[in-house]
Amino acid sequence: MFTRNFRNICRRYSQSVTFRTTETSPVQQNDNQVGLFYTIEKDVCKKLFGHGGLPKSYMKQTKTFTETTLMIRQPALDVIDCIKASDLNKPAIRYVLYGETGTGKSLTLAHLIHYAHDAGFLIVHVPWVSEWLRRVPRHKEMSNSQTREGFVDLPLDAAAWLLHFKTQNQTLLKCGDLKISKDYVWSKREQTSAGAPLAELVEQGISRVKYACDVIDALVYEIKLLSNNKQCKTFVAVDGYNCFFYPMTRLNTPTKKKVKPEEVTLTTTFMELTKNDWTNGVIVLSVDQIAVPEDHQESYLPKYLLYKKGFEHLDPFVPVEVGRYSEKEFLSCASYYRDRLWLRGPEDLETELKLASACNPYKFMELCAPL
Amino acid sequence: MRNLTNQLLLFKKYIHELNSFRAVIQSRCYSRPTSFPDYFQNPIFRKEDQLKLIENNELSKLASVPIKPPAVYETSSVYHDPLVNKVINHVMEEGKKKLARSLVEKAFENIKRIQIERYHLATTPEQKSKIVLNPKEILHTAIENCKPLLQLTPIKRGGITYQVPGPITEKRSLFLAIKWLLEAANEKERTVHFPEQFAWELLDAANNTGKVVKRKQDLHRQCEANRAYAHYRWQ
Repeated sequence: MFTRNFRNICRRYSQSVTFRTTETSPVQQNDNQVGLFYTIEKDVCKKLFGHGGLPKSYMKQTKTFTETTLMIRQPALDVIDCIKASDLNKPAIRYVLYGETGTGKSLTLAHLIHYAHDAGFLIVHVPWVSEWLRRVPRHKEMSNSQTREGFVDLPLDAAAWLLHFKTQNQTLLKCGDLKISKDYVWSKREQTSAGAPLAELVEQGISRVKYACDVIDALVYEIKLLSNNKQCKTFVAVDGYNCFFYPMTRLNTPTKKKVKPEEVTLTTTFMELTKNDWTNGVIVLSVDQIAVPEDHQESYLPKYLLYKKGFEHLDPFVPVEVGRYSEKEFLSCASYYRDRLWLRGPEDLETELKLASACNPYKFMELCAPL
Repeated sequence: MRNLTNQLLLFKKYIHELNSFRAVIQSRCYSRPTSFPDYFQNPIFRKEDQLKLIENNELSKLASVPIKPPAVYETSSVYHDPLVNKVINHVMEEGKKKLARSLVEKAFENIKRIQIERYHLATTPEQKSKIVLNPKEILHTAIENCKPLLQLTPIKRGGITYQVPGPITEKRSLFLAIKWLLEAANEKERTVHFPEQFAWELLDAANNTGKVVKRKQDLHRQCEANRAYAHYRWQ
C-alpha cells in the first residue's frame, strides 16, 4: 500500500504538464498555445468585465483561485485569425458562436473582447440579452417610449449598459477624437450639439435615465457612422443573441399586455447594429440554449435557436462551434485545477472525471467541486 | 520531502480510518425481510477489497456462494466513501436522494472554498501545511470528534427513573454524531441555506469546537455526574 501511494505521489510531482502561458495579450497568441491558460490582469479584467460579461459561476471560481485565467482555445484563435486576415473595408463580417451548454461560449466571447481591447477596437458588448428581456426583478423599470409609438423602453437597463460601455471604452472615449455628427434634442432645455465628443452623449444617457434608450439609439447610429468614416474600428459582441428572436419576452406593460421582443426599443437598436450595412467593424454573436425558455432548447444549432427570422437577419454569417475539451485541453485543465488546489486525490481520478463529465468544461468544474 | 511524507502519513491514517468505518457502515442489515434469503452474502464491490480476497485466497470460497447484487450507491468509483454515503442518507427526506446528495456536495464545495481561501491568506508554509483542504477528511474528523463515548439510559428502580450512564455501541455513537451534526445545521436562520450552515458546523466540529462538540461534552459531564447510578445497570 505504502509503496503504491509513494509511487503515485512521485509520479504526480514529476509529471508536471505545462498548463500556463506567459503570453497575456491575445494579439500575440498563436496555435502553439492551444489549451494553455493565460492570466488577465486585474485592472483590465475590472475594466472589461466589471459590469458583467463573465458567468456567475466563473466569477466564483476566480475569487477562489485568486486570479482570472482563461484557456486559449481553438474557436477564439480561429476568430482572431479571421479578424486579422479579413479586410475591414468590406461590410462587417458576423461570427456566430454556438455549442452545447457549458462548453464555454461566453468565455470564448470574453477572450475575444480581451483581444478587441488589446487591438484597439471600440467595444460594444452586451453581457447577456436575457437580462433585459427575460429577467423580471421586483422593480423592473418599464415605460412607453416617448419617441416611438407602440414601443417599450427599459431605461434602467439601458443606463446600466451605457455605464458598462463607458467603462469598457474609457481610454478611447477619453481621448475625444470621436465626435457626433448631428444635434440631438432631448427636451426643451437639454440637447447635445453636433461636434460634441461621444463621451458627452453617453454621460447624457447615464445622468438622464429617462432618455437612456434614445441615447443608445443615437449612439449606435453615431458608431456606425464613425466606423464608416474610418475614425474607429468597432467590435460588437452580444451574448445570448437568440433571445431577441424568441416570440415572447417576460415583460408586461402597465396595462398587462405581453411585450414582444421587437417592441422593445433596445431590440431594434441592436438589430440595426448587427446588420452588415456598415464597414470597419466585427460582429461576434453567441447563440445559447439557456437564453430562451425550456420549450425551445432541443438543439444548440444556430438555425434552430435563431428561428427563421433571425437566421435570415444574420445571413450570411460565419458559424463557429465551441466544442467540448479535447484530450490535451482536458489534461491541461485538470492540472490547472490541481495547481489551484481545486482537485486533489489519486491519478485515476482524472480518467473517471473525464468519463463522468464527458469532457464538458462546465460539468467538469461542477464535478470537481465536492472532491 | 518532509512535507510529502507528512502528507503520506495523513493519507495512510485516512485510509485506516476509512477501513474501520467500513466495518460498521457496510454491513447491510435490513429490519424487514428482503427478497434475498439470508444465506445470500453481501457483495464485495471495492477493487481493493477484491484484491485482498485474492491475496488471501478466499475468492474461491465465495465463488460458490450466492451473493446479493450491489446497490446503486455501492460503486467502485475512486471517490466512493461509505461515510459520506451514510451522511447523505441521513440528510435525505422522503427518498429524495438526488437532492440530499446535491446538498451534501454543496456543503463540501463550501468547505473547500473556505479552506482554500484560508490557505491563500496564510503567510508561512507551516501555517499552510496545517490547513486541511480535503472536505472528506474534514467530515471524518468532525464525526470522529462528535462521537460520544458514553450514553444515558433511563432505568426505573423503585418508582423513580434514573438516568444511568453506560457504554455505547460504535454504531449508535456514529448515529448520534451524524444526528447531532444535522440538528445543529438545521438550527439556523431562515435565510441561510443548509449547505452553508452544514459546512460551518463541520468545520467547527473538525476544529473540536462548536455546538455539537459542546453537546457531546455535556453528555459526558452528565454521565460523570450520574456515575453513582451506574450499578442500576445490573442490579
